[in-house]
Order: sequence, then structure tokens, then C-alpha cells
Amino acid sequence: MRKFMNSYFGRLAFFIVLGFVLFLASNRVDELRVYQGATVAMYVVAISSLILLTGYSGQVSLGHGALLAIGGYAAALARNHFSAPIWLCFVVAIVATAMAGAVIGTAAARLSGPYLAGSTLALAVGLPSIANQFHILGGEQGLLFDLGAPPARLGADFTQYKWYFWIASVVALIAIWLLQNILRSRFGRTWRAVRSNEVAAELAGIHVGKSKTLAFTVSAGLAGLAGALLAMTIGTVSPSAFPLTLSFALLTGAVLSGVTTLSGVIIGALVLVATPDIADAISNRFASSDNVTTNLPGLLVSSLLILVVLLVPNGPVEQMRTLRARRSVKKTQ
Amino acid sequence: MYQLINTILIGITSGAIYSLMAIALVLVWRSARVVNFAQAGQALLSTYIGYEFIQKFHSFWLALLLAMIAGAAVSALIDATFMRTLFRRAGHGPIAGVAPIIATLGLLGVIRSGLGLIVGGKDVRIAPPVSNVGYTVSGHTLAFSPLKLLVVGSVLILMLVLSLLFQRTNVGLALRASAYSPEIARLAGVRVDGMRTLGWALAGAAGAAAGMLQTPDGSGALSPDSLEFSLLLVFGFIAAVIGGLESLVGAVVGGLLLGMVLAFVLIYISTSLVFITAFALLIVVLLVKPGGLIGSRRGRRA
Repeated sequence: MRKFMNSYFGRLAFFIVLGFVLFLASNRVDELRVYQGATVAMYVVAISSLILLTGYSGQVSLGHGALLAIGGYAAALARNHFSAPIWLCFVVAIVATAMAGAVIGTAAARLSGPYLAGSTLALAVGLPSIANQFHILGGEQGLLFDLGAPPARLGADFTQYKWYFWIASVVALIAIWLLQNILRSRFGRTWRAVRSNEVAAELAGIHVGKSKTLAFTVSAGLAGLAGALLAMTIGTVSPSAFPLTLSFALLTGAVLSGVTTLSGVIIGALVLVATPDIADAISNRFASSDNVTTNLPGLLVSSLLILVVLLVPNGPVEQMRTLRARRSVKKTQ
Repeated sequence: MYQLINTILIGITSGAIYSLMAIALVLVWRSARVVNFAQAGQALLSTYIGYEFIQKFHSFWLALLLAMIAGAAVSALIDATFMRTLFRRAGHGPIAGVAPIIATLGLLGVIRSGLGLIVGGKDVRIAPPVSNVGYTVSGHTLAFSPLKLLVVGSVLILMLVLSLLFQRTNVGLALRASAYSPEIARLAGVRVDGMRTLGWALAGAAGAAAGMLQTPDGSGALSPDSLEFSLLLVFGFIAAVIGGLESLVGAVVGGLLLGMVLAFVLIYISTSLVFITAFALLIVVLLVKPGGLIGSRRGRRA
């Protein structure tokens, strides 16, 4: 069974079954949960993009929100000006953001750790504000991004959010499936080699700069896709949809998922979506002043971030694997 | 003509505040090899503490001093407890390179939302200690007031004190030694851990000064989610990197240069291009002169 799950077709089958389960689930929960499900799917794509960059290629980005913004705006422009079909909007978002990512990545490959972190932070602050400068980007109000009502043959009681959930889930499943295959390929191995030891990787014949730029490009493409999904669920793109807190939230999600493995990606996405609900529940229970309601989610997420970095720095999934490995060593002794 | 002079003056004062933040970042970087993204949060916290002291003693100057001491204490505490634990637990493995960045960001979030939880929503203002009405020269009002003079003066004084400390005292020698080579410094009998904590403390004090001076110079209002403090962090970082991230003089030069460029963009081109200009300046400096305008000749990539 394990062998089958690790094979190419095994993984494909797994994703198809997962998609079917999600489809069944979406019929049984209420509207709010369906909306949250679409957000989870968006976060899954965004976080996996960050995991690819940070965990697999060792570059840290505090400005993924800016890449999401590029994707969102590209998709909205394609929809509004060329009335592109839905799938083409996503493709445009991916291509545009990947191109931007290739440019940024070329610069980023020359920077390490804190320099890259700070530069991407400056990008996250700077990029969304450009929208105010150019008329075509719609200024502070932003642009509408309307993917239209669900097709009529899905039935009259098929809601808008369910339609969004379907699109987001299918897109996320395909993206993760592709990404898994990339990470198991030559490129994935190269990235991990570079992350572990740049000098050793270079000696083994890997062009470190190129490999980092490629990782940044692929990661940016995924981030652009996530941006288009985010724009879809909100219905608009505007500078305020991509605040600095979004970039920080994504990083938190990546750390919670365990930056070194893709398999935990759903953990971070679920936590990010669930935190506001949990915070609401807590603040309703106790003194519910405005202060508590607005600040509790942030406090919970940041505390969680610190706890994870201190206690399970490599993420829960990796931690479980280490524990299991240790136990099996003990058994054989 | 007057517009040009005013632009330069605005650049100098905003640059001076970026310099203070850059100095704080440089101090931590030199002693711990960590870019402290929580610095803005610490500055915010110190400014709130300073505000409480102003309410109590009705003196800006005493409050400034006390806020700097409090900022130093908080900062030292963060290093001695939090960062030390972090390096013990996450100092190896694939996460080691990014763990300090993530941890200080988490700290920033905790400080901000924690402060918001306790004091958020209140209208907190710090009145300028001296007049903020511009000097008048032959009928024209300049964008330079006694308050701005105070800001620039404090940066110069702080810079001077820190330079004397680093160049002329034994503690400064120990600080430099442990930054240059922790291993050898330890062999020579320097308590490297203590020096690192001291570096953090100095940075905390500088950050507190930046927060206390920034608030009355800007809108005067203080709020946990104020954009001004996020910008202080980003612009402080850019200023520090322009200056090479290693030298205090570099931090001041970087801060003034950044302030000047941004002032020119703000007044002569467009408000909405300010942030992206800052980013562009950072990238250009990093690509053309990766060691910073003033800094060691060693590459910064390692």
C-alpha cells in the first residue's frame, strides 16, 4: 500500500479521491464553511509556494503578498479587458507572476538570509501602492474580478460560493499534484542540495544561482495563482487586499505546516482560516471589547509562530517522522 | 528655490529618524548576526512606556530618558531569554538560517497585537516638547522647526556617544571583539554572551529614541497598528543596508540618503511612488555595491 502511495499513479489516484471527498463534503456543510473551504484552498496554494521557496530552496520571502497582488491584478485585467475564460485568467496570473518572479529571483539569488528577507519586505510594502499611480489599476478602489455565476446545468440551488469552492479546490489539487512531481524530480533534488550546502552543491556541478532563480520563478507562479484565487473569493483586487499582514500570515502558515515538507501544508492553511473563528469564540465568551476582537487573532497566530519555531522548528510533520525513525531504531536494537 | 530647500530639509529630518532605526538594526546585527524585525515592535512598546511616563512626570525629556532605559531593558531581556533559547533549539538543521527571521517577526506580531489588546483603541498623543512651527526666513516659512532641529540633534548626539563608546572604552573594545570573532574574543576572556546582550540593549535604547522622536514629529498620534512604525522598520532596514549593515556611520549616511531621495520623490514626482522608490534604491545598492556604501570590503553573501 505504502509503495503504491509513493508511486506516480498512486499519488494521482490519491488526489482524485481527495477531490471527490471534498466534492461530497461541500454538499453537506453550510455556506460559510464552503466559503472558508475556498479560502483554505487559496492558502494551500500560497503556503506551498512559500514552502517551496523557503523549505526547499532556502530563500525566505516576507513579501509573498506582493506576488499574490501581481497574480490577482493580472487575472483581473485579463478578465476585464479581454473577457478571458476562467481557466485563462488563472494561466495569465501564473505566467505574469512567474515572469515578475524571474526578475526578482535573479536579484534574490545574489542575496542571502536577512538581506533577501528585508528586500522582499520592502517589496511587499512598496508594490501594492503602485496601483494608486496608474489609472488602469483602479487606484485605492481596485478592480472588480467577477468570474460569473455558476453554469446553469449545475442546478438552481448551486450557490456562488460553492462554485468558488469547486474552482479553488480543483485548482489547488492540480497545483499541489504538479508541485509534488516537480519536487520529486531533478529540480527538487537540486533545490534541496543547494539548501543543505551551497558549496557542496556547486562542487557537484549545480549552478546555484540558476537553481535559486528557478525556484523563485516557480514559487512566484504558484503565488500568482493563489493571488487570482484570493481575488476570486473577495470579488475585487485592491491594494488593501494585500497588506503586510497577509505576507506575515503566509509565512506563519508555512512555519506551522513545517517549512521543510510539503505534506503538512493543509495544517497551516486550516490554522490560518480557523484562527479568526477561534478568536471570535474566545472573545465572545469573555469580555468582548473591540480591542480583544481585533487583536486576538493576531496574537494567537504570532504566539503560535513563536511556539512552533521554539518547540518544533522543523514543523510537526518532520517532527513526527523523526520520532518514528527514532522509535524504529530502538525496536531493531 | 524655497521648495528645493524645503525638500532637502524634509529629507534630512525624516532621514535622521530612519538613521536612528538603522543604528538600532546595525547594533543588533553586529553583535548577534540577526536582523531584528521585532525592532519596530520594541520601539512601539518603548514609546508607549514613554507616554505613560509623560503622563506621570509631565516632562518629555525625563520620559525620553526613561523610555530609552526601558527599551534597553526589554531588548536585553529578549536576547537573554528568547533569542538564547531560540539558538539552542533551532540553531541547526534546515531551519537554522531562517529561524531568527521568523522568530523576530513572530515577536513583532506578539508585541503589536499584545499592545493592541491592552491599550488599543485609545486616543494616545504625544505633544511635541518644543514648537513644531517652522522657522521663518525673509517671509518664507521653512519646513524646519525647533522640533526638527531637536530630532537631528539627538541623532548626532546618540551617534557621538555610541562612537565614543565603541572606539574609546574597554567595553566598546570587547563589543567590537565579540562582533568580529566571537571564538577568539571568548578565548581572550571576553564574556561574549554578555556583550551580545549589551548590543541588544543599546539597540533597544536607540529604537526607543526613534519611536519617541518619530511620534511627535509625525501625526503625534500613537496606535499599536500605526503604519508609521511599519515604515520605520522597512525604511530603517533599507537605510542600514545602504550603509552596509555593519557601520554606525553607514547607518546615518544611509538614513540621510534615503530620506533625501524619498523627499524628492514625494515632492517632485508622486506620493504613491515613495515606497517602490525605496525598494528600487535598496535593490540597486544591493546589486551594484553589495557591501553597502560604507562598510567592510568583505562580501555580504556568506
